Amino acid sequence: MTDVIARPPDLVPASPPAPAAESLAERLLRTQAPQRPQSAPAIRLEVDGRVVEGREGQTILEVCRDNGIEIPTLCYEPKLPGFGACRMCVVDVEGEEHPPISCSRAAEAGMVVRTQTEEVRRLRRTNLELIFSDHNAYCLPPCQNKCPSHIDIPGFLKANAEGEFRESARIFKRTIPFPSILGRVCPAPCEEHCRRDEVDEAIAIRDSHRYAGDQVIREMVERDVDPPLPFELQPPTGKRVAVVGSGPAGASAAYYLLIAGHDVTILERDEAPGGMLRYGIPEYRLPKARVLEPEYESITRLGGRFECGRELGRDFSLDDLQNQGYDAVVLAIGCYDTNKLGIPNEDAEGVIDGLEYLKIATLGHTYPGHAGTRVVVIGGGFTAMDCVRTSVRQGAAEVTLVYRRDMKDMPAASEVHEAIEEGVTTIFQAGPTRVLVDEATGRVTGVEFIRMQLGAPDASGRRRPEPAPGTEFVLECDRVLLAIGQGPDLSWIGPGNEGAQATKQRRLRADAVTFETGRAGVFGTGDVRNGAQTVVQAIADGRRAAYAVDAYVRGLDLGAIRTRQTLAEPQPEFLSIVPFTSEVKESRHRLSSLPAEERRSTYVEYEIPYSRSEAVAEGTRCLQCTCEAIGYCDLRRLGIEYGTTLRTLEPRLNRGAGYRSVTENRFTGYNHDYLRDDSHAFILREPSRCIDCGRCANVCAEVVGAACYDFMRIGFDTLVTTPLDMSLNDTPCVSCGRCAETCPTGALMPKPRILEKYEVDESRCILCGICVDACPYDALRCGPDFELAHTSREEPMIDLIAIAAVDRETEMTYVRRERDWAPRALAAGRDIGPRMLPVLPASLAGPGGGNGHAAAHATGDNGHAAAGDAGGHAPHD
Amino acid sequence: MTTILPSPASGPRPLLGDVPAAGGPAPTDLAAAVAGGAFAALRTVVGDLGPTGTLVTIAASGLRGRGGGGFPAGDKWRAVASADDPVRYVVANGYEADPAQATGRLLMETRPFAVVEGAAIAALAVGAREAIVAVRAEYADAVRALEAAAFAAEEAGYLGRDVLRSGRDVAVTIRTVQGAYMLGEETVLLKALEGRRGQPEQRPPHPSERGLFGHPTLVHNVATLAAVPWVVVHGADAFRAIGDPDAPGTMLVQVSGAVAAPGIAEVPTGTTLRTLVDLAGGVAPGRTFKAVLVGGPTGGFLPAELLDTPYTFAALRDAGAHVGSGAVVVADTTTCLVDLARLLVRFSADEACGKTIPCRIGLRRLAEIGQRYADGTARPTDPQLLVDLADDCAASALCDHERLAPSPLRTAMRYFGPEIDDHVLRGTCPAGVCGPVRLAAAAGRQGGPR
Repeated sequence: MTDVIARPPDLVPASPPAPAAESLAERLLRTQAPQRPQSAPAIRLEVDGRVVEGREGQTILEVCRDNGIEIPTLCYEPKLPGFGACRMCVVDVEGEEHPPISCSRAAEAGMVVRTQTEEVRRLRRTNLELIFSDHNAYCLPPCQNKCPSHIDIPGFLKANAEGEFRESARIFKRTIPFPSILGRVCPAPCEEHCRRDEVDEAIAIRDSHRYAGDQVIREMVERDVDPPLPFELQPPTGKRVAVVGSGPAGASAAYYLLIAGHDVTILERDEAPGGMLRYGIPEYRLPKARVLEPEYESITRLGGRFECGRELGRDFSLDDLQNQGYDAVVLAIGCYDTNKLGIPNEDAEGVIDGLEYLKIATLGHTYPGHAGTRVVVIGGGFTAMDCVRTSVRQGAAEVTLVYRRDMKDMPAASEVHEAIEEGVTTIFQAGPTRVLVDEATGRVTGVEFIRMQLGAPDASGRRRPEPAPGTEFVLECDRVLLAIGQGPDLSWIGPGNEGAQATKQRRLRADAVTFETGRAGVFGTGDVRNGAQTVVQAIADGRRAAYAVDAYVRGLDLGAIRTRQTLAEPQPEFLSIVPFTSEVKESRHRLSSLPAEERRSTYVEYEIPYSRSEAVAEGTRCLQCTCEAIGYCDLRRLGIEYGTTLRTLEPRLNRGAGYRSVTENRFTGYNHDYLRDDSHAFILREPSRCIDCGRCANVCAEVVGAACYDFMRIGFDTLVTTPLDMSLNDTPCVSCGRCAETCPTGALMPKPRILEKYEVDESRCILCGICVDACPYDALRCGPDFELAHTSREEPMIDLIAIAAVDRETEMTYVRRERDWAPRALAAGRDIGPRMLPVLPASLAGPGGGNGHAAAHATGDNGHAAAGDAGGHAPHD
Repeated sequence: MTTILPSPASGPRPLLGDVPAAGGPAPTDLAAAVAGGAFAALRTVVGDLGPTGTLVTIAASGLRGRGGGGFPAGDKWRAVASADDPVRYVVANGYEADPAQATGRLLMETRPFAVVEGAAIAALAVGAREAIVAVRAEYADAVRALEAAAFAAEEAGYLGRDVLRSGRDVAVTIRTVQGAYMLGEETVLLKALEGRRGQPEQRPPHPSERGLFGHPTLVHNVATLAAVPWVVVHGADAFRAIGDPDAPGTMLVQVSGAVAAPGIAEVPTGTTLRTLVDLAGGVAPGRTFKAVLVGGPTGGFLPAELLDTPYTFAALRDAGAHVGSGAVVVADTTTCLVDLARLLVRFSADEACGKTIPCRIGLRRLAEIGQRYADGTARPTDPQLLVDLADDCAASALCDHERLAPSPLRTAMRYFGPEIDDHVLRGTCPAGVCGPVRLAAAAGRQGGPR
């Protein structure tokens, strides 16, 4: 037989081994992880127009990562061969019909690879959308979600619960500089969405940060301790920024610009800074000397200068400012023009602008002739509420509040009960038709109202009031206070201020993301841009404007600001959350307040603040709904990067940067709702967050050898889980935590625990040494006299601090929940400094590499690879 | 047993051979089989051709894989034969996944020696010592027949040690595998043989480079291997002369649905669909032809105008269908194609192995779109969404399952648009399957299936 394959007879073994002799295990062992020669020959290929070098046998992904080219992956585990489940690492290879996945495709010499073509990005986006359509989980807790400024509420409540009020205030200041002010005047939309409400009552979120903020103020006033800084103070940039208006928006913008290292001057029209905070909100709600001024001191302590008595259009123009060398101007002049009713006799004597009335009141004066009068206040917002309650305090004989909608649709619904307690009469669903005037004196004698019926819901979701004919009635009165909303005063637009424009709604035209007005270098923020809104909205707007201005004066790409802001403060809609049930009920700690009788006659702050123990107790009530993986989740990072959940921002919606919603996914359909498994002592399983990448299963089987997980079930219901969904306790789990370490989302997490130390129950220890074998950190060791451990060691234990000191790649996973990991890491010389906005990976910077920020920090010695716990995710760069 | 339909012309039947007469010798009777020509090819390979000659013959015959992909067998054999790794395998895929399909079963039950001989020839040609015939465990008769055939052949010296005194060893092992639909996919079958969860692997590397236990593996459908002995005996030219020149030979086609005499036919490639329907007695009496589903659950619906499409890999692919499992199902006017398409896509979604995201979630979303069509609750964006999603699934697909699974819905949209419009726009189902009551009820219901 002449055969090229058959071996010559002398080479054929006498008794060749039967093919089946080798066991399955042996074959598996031999075929896993193909051996790669240590010094494989070098190959060259072209990636994204760049010639890169790799070694034969490497995958495209490995070559790219070695050369610093980012390809997104979810299922790729560097310790193992490519798996190919997530299809995120698809790349375009010239000459191939379908884009191959780079984690499994061997790199070949001369290959032309493109990692960011339209097509592969589309495929990745589709993939992400599909994942999100079955990702029955949330990133942020509902309270943080609903806060206009997205404060890390679970974060500061946790600090409160631990009695760390300074840390609590620091967390708060990341998004809002004034915890004490907001602790008094915020309508607290967060509390309406608190999940603790499903157990007993919502957390008193506002009162909690109020307490923390007050502690910081007390320390500052009594012991001259600087308030905590939310971010590392940047070195001076030499750039000068003028902020026009010192209200909440302007002050907030100034605060963050100062931290960013710019020289900030705040120009204020009135004689003292504060804007509406000072001249719109009465003393009994916001004590000026005790709260407002110390909070504003945090700006002067950072080097900010207030120049009062200078008004735009009267004392200076934008031309003047820019001629004086300001690199940027922030317009935050607020809304001071009260809207008109548009009814007859509106200008009669006795009809008073509510804002003007309040301003006089806040200056400490009683409006002339107010005592003993019958006052009608028209409106339903906080200004109206301040007007009625101030009128009570100024001795008005009779105060009536009239609002055209019903009570639940009132913007100031939360405060109306207190006004009623103080003796205010309220009339809902009535609108004024004319003001009645005494012909002889020209003075107001009353107002005619008409009853309103509620029609179909309008754009705000509230039912539109419509007059019911024939239901007119007259309220006799001496004074009418108008508080039906305000608009900005834009009369200064014109010569010297060219470029600034008004919108159709009579507001300053400014971009919702970049805050640019029509004039270069001039930015608009706060109420002047949005119309009159709440303090917290103005502050959030001011902060976001600061980001944009910072990018502008540093010469960075304003186009990238949207993504960077979204990374810094994502706002995902959560699909559903598993209702929390608890046996333990503990009702909310309410602030007590002065009796109504006493309140009627005094401007003293009427709410009595928390005691320390109350503040701590309220913090412990927080359920900490936040996803444990927040900031570390690859899915979230890629979702933002690929815009899967990023809707084009419509300025009129005014939702802040990058409003995103997974519910607007193209593929929304049936989704899974799995139960959380916290039966294991160290590993928390949240299968609803699982994206079935298989990393845990592969690592557990191939690296650890325990094989606790695998793909279970079939089709759409496939889930990577334990056999029969059993508890990890019943699997061969060795508690090594590698599954949690490799999980790209929050499906597997080291279980948060307050333990600092593990104690060994010596009476039950049989000295088997398994703990020593299993510990991934070598925190437990066999000593020379391990067998005698129970006699030679007083208390064998594992110390987490010691573990944190182990310098490993995985360290962050384990210690990131520990409060003081940041200082420890800093002490160890690692760079973790938090930044206001995270640095973008190069792949995000867009065409032309416009994101100078990323470049600057990649090379500069001040580069911050990680955003730390600043709410942003550390980009994988 | 399924009826064997007459072949269209009196051409050769390399796969099924002559239909055995009732009461004749059992298919597992070695003496009778040898008398009928079994193992003549093996003798030729050992005696004359040698491995190289066999490779040349197979390549020259133009034989293509019958598993649905239609990959040239000669290229595959050469790839395995030229691999560096001395350990190689041959795997005969007898896992017939399509639930309504029995062509492979018929072949394994009636011609077990052809399958075993084909596998042995392939093993000799590519230099493998072991050929594994992986059979669906539910096919008990097929398993028994193959085991009996392999045992008898080994006893007689055709298999095992020193095959026909050639000095070469070839073990043909019959392995039963059980599991899910996806096991029909070659890399999934290999994973199952390794004792692991049946999930496909990324290709390249193809199994011919890295297959079973990491070794070069020749994976063929049993129908491909069963044709090999005929090719060797009759020569490549004789095989090339049958059917379509681009993909010569015969194929087993199961014609079912609204036909008068459903059954399995061995037909030359290139036979038109119309002929196939006629072989099964034409459309059943009293029924009216509407569409033909070609390719099984992931196949496509073709309308009457396309009945002259030849049954070849390329022509069917162009029409939106594919050879797939070899199923040809005739749908009559009492069938609602919207309902059937949604059912098929839902089947594919439920049978997905769950490894990749486009397949696990994407197919489910496609099925939900189909459900919305059937319920009359489609969103205006659904047609575009279906096309976009199907394209994206195909472009980043790991295996053919997700690439082909949208075919029923896509061909329904392509050829039967008016019927979808009836559901979506007019709330009526022409076939009366999705009744108006159900449509009305569905209109008030939000959300997808379940």
